[in-house]
Amino acid sequence: MNQRHILLVEDNPDDEALTIRAFAKNNIRNEVVVVRDGAEAIDHLLAIDRGDAPSPILILLDLKLPKVGGLEVLRRIRAGQRTRLIPVVVLTTSVEQEDILAGYNGGANAYVRKPVSFSDFAETVHTIGMFWLLLAEPPPDIILPPGPS
Amino acid sequence: MVNAQAESLFGYQPEELAGQLVEVLVPDVSRAVHAQHRATYTADPKDRPMGSRIQLSGRRRDGSTFPADISLANIDTDRGILVTAAVRDMTSRQQALEELEQANRNLESFAYSVSHDLRAPLRALSGFSAALLEECADGLGEAGRGYAERIQAASKQMATLIDDLLLLARVARAEINLQDVDLGAEVADIAGELQRGRPDRHVRFTIQQPVWVLADRDLVRTVLQNLLDNAWKFTSGRDDALIDFAAAPAADGRVCCHVRDNGAGFDSAYAAKLFQPFERLHSAREFPGTGIGLASVRQIVERHGGRTWAEGTAGAGATFYFTLRTAETI
Repeated sequence: MNQRHILLVEDNPDDEALTIRAFAKNNIRNEVVVVRDGAEAIDHLLAIDRGDAPSPILILLDLKLPKVGGLEVLRRIRAGQRTRLIPVVVLTTSVEQEDILAGYNGGANAYVRKPVSFSDFAETVHTIGMFWLLLAEPPPDIILPPGPS
Repeated sequence: MVNAQAESLFGYQPEELAGQLVEVLVPDVSRAVHAQHRATYTADPKDRPMGSRIQLSGRRRDGSTFPADISLANIDTDRGILVTAAVRDMTSRQQALEELEQANRNLESFAYSVSHDLRAPLRALSGFSAALLEECADGLGEAGRGYAERIQAASKQMATLIDDLLLLARVARAEINLQDVDLGAEVADIAGELQRGRPDRHVRFTIQQPVWVLADRDLVRTVLQNLLDNAWKFTSGRDDALIDFAAAPAADGRVCCHVRDNGAGFDSAYAAKLFQPFERLHSAREFPGTGIGLASVRQIVERHGGRTWAEGTAGAGATFYFTLRTAETI
């Protein structure tokens, strides 16, 4: 299994704990790095884009976030040179048609509703993990041309 | 001739309007065309509401306008035809309508918050009670495990309740896209799904095909899904379960469809309560449910201009009827 980390963008501490527990229960041992609001997420993305932080294998993105919303975070991911190909799974509570459309329009690779029951949630996290960490070929590392300096 | 009420409605002093053309009461932009309409009307006068399909306005003395409802009547006199116009100021009705639209928008955003904000704490209830059961089962003891299981079941029930409420709210505001839909094919499809979900159950379906109606596909699918889910659920105690879908022409040119089962049925004295939200005729122990499904069914059918009703006998099955338009009824 690819050992690069998973980036979880999630403001709710309960959902954070449950997501990490669901990964652990499913023997997905990749490190989970958590950013807890949209502004923190964008700082983290900028660091990746500068080459100061490693690139995650997968981003799990909640849409309803404090400060900067998930859709804006998604826009910044797709705009960054080093982050634009990273698989992004929107994992959120809303199934409003508008949100689903906005998610896919923004370039999300998948839009998944967080189920309420933990057994369903664990199963969802398992399926996402199996697909993106085991089955899907990750995008090749993007080699940036040397800067003007 | 104008009465005192008309003078005050349009902001004129007594007698000030006498002898003036009626066009002074018409907003500037429509004045010319109104004079033409008046000529056409006097040539062939008929009592009628004026411009029943368009928004009319009146012009006050100070030039301001207001939404108006105007009806015309004519009287034959020895001096020719006398046309009387009754004008009603619709400002308050217009305001009420705008307030209603605002309230609807508020309801939409409320439904949205319900979706997000109520589900998140529920997931915590379900998740951490599951964690208790898995990681602290020994310390909890038998009673403690029972309580944690109840928390799990209750949070699952509430999640269904929220989803059903959201469906009801969505159905109330959904845009209706009419198209020809074969209800028989939809029923067959749903029946297949139900059977695949529970291959151990033996249920005989009889499905009339095709049954063409003119309706919104997604919404009537929700109607059929609810009725068939119910039939499936309430026949669960029977080895010879039977679910029948058929249609017949109704008196008003519509088609009357029914879903009939030989399941638990209901006491016909309560038939009227069935379609009310949260009304349930069976305990959750017998048959689980939220009591919102049939309210959604009625809401959808009424939004299509149709009717819903039910017949049943306790212990001997139930039949749910609904009427819809066909392409020919238009």
